[in-house]
Amino acid sequence: MDLKLDHRTEDRLTIVEVEGEIDVYTAPRLRELLIDLVNKGNFHLLVNMEKVDFLDSTGLGVLVGGLKRVRAHDGSLELVCTQERILKIFRITGLTKVFGIYASVDEAKEAHGKDK
Amino acid sequence: MTEETETRAEGVAGIRDVVSIRLPAASAYLSVLRTATAGLAARLDFTLDEIEDLRIAVDEACAMLLSEAVPGTDLTAEFELTGQEMQVRVEVATVGSSAPKRDDFAWMVLTALADDVDAVAPSQGFPDRMAIVLRKRRGAAQRTAGPA
Repeated sequence: MDLKLDHRTEDRLTIVEVEGEIDVYTAPRLRELLIDLVNKGNFHLLVNMEKVDFLDSTGLGVLVGGLKRVRAHDGSLELVCTQERILKIFRITGLTKVFGIYASVDEAKEAHGKDK
Repeated sequence: MTEETETRAEGVAGIRDVVSIRLPAASAYLSVLRTATAGLAARLDFTLDEIEDLRIAVDEACAMLLSEAVPGTDLTAEFELTGQEMQVRVEVATVGSSAPKRDDFAWMVLTALADDVDAVAPSQGFPDRMAIVLRKRRGAAQRTAGPA
């Protein structure tokens, strides 16, 4: 399965929908999208990973890179993920402490709204 | 892609097969190798969690090697299946590379998900080959790696 990417903006939050497999082959497309969004002034990103079937360390690197970019603009990059097999990779690398990880887009939007 | 299967011996202990897969050393083929890994692990009755661990571990090992591989060459993966264990050796042709890096996310994930990992650096005998060998046993206690 390839990687499908989509995004929309609700209030000040840009929601990135990711579907498929994020590996060394597909991760550059996600990287390009995140860079493009930041370059266009979207500094609060929410990456929905509920439809991600596979994630490896290359994908982690892309997300960390995105986080660094938005933080340079006092922004945020948070995740929606409930899949244990994906969360496991974040735990192994200690990144559960780096990213805000929510159970749903609504939950993330609510938390983001409180932070505004 | 070429694929070869060799049955070395099969006795009371059960399966002991070797499966070799050769594909272009290009990231586009990694999903093919992950699928093959899952199929072979299922043949050994690994649990779903163990199969997923192996898919990711093989992917990480290959991703590490691909960054050092000579363009246009092949990546070879040799799966040795015994009754309780799968050993996977992935290898590429390289030029002027040292050992795979051990201080990045890829190595962290790889060593957490496999039971044993060896990185085989280019050596005097094989100056242009780099390999990673990983092993996973069925039912082995899951290592708790990294903070929860």
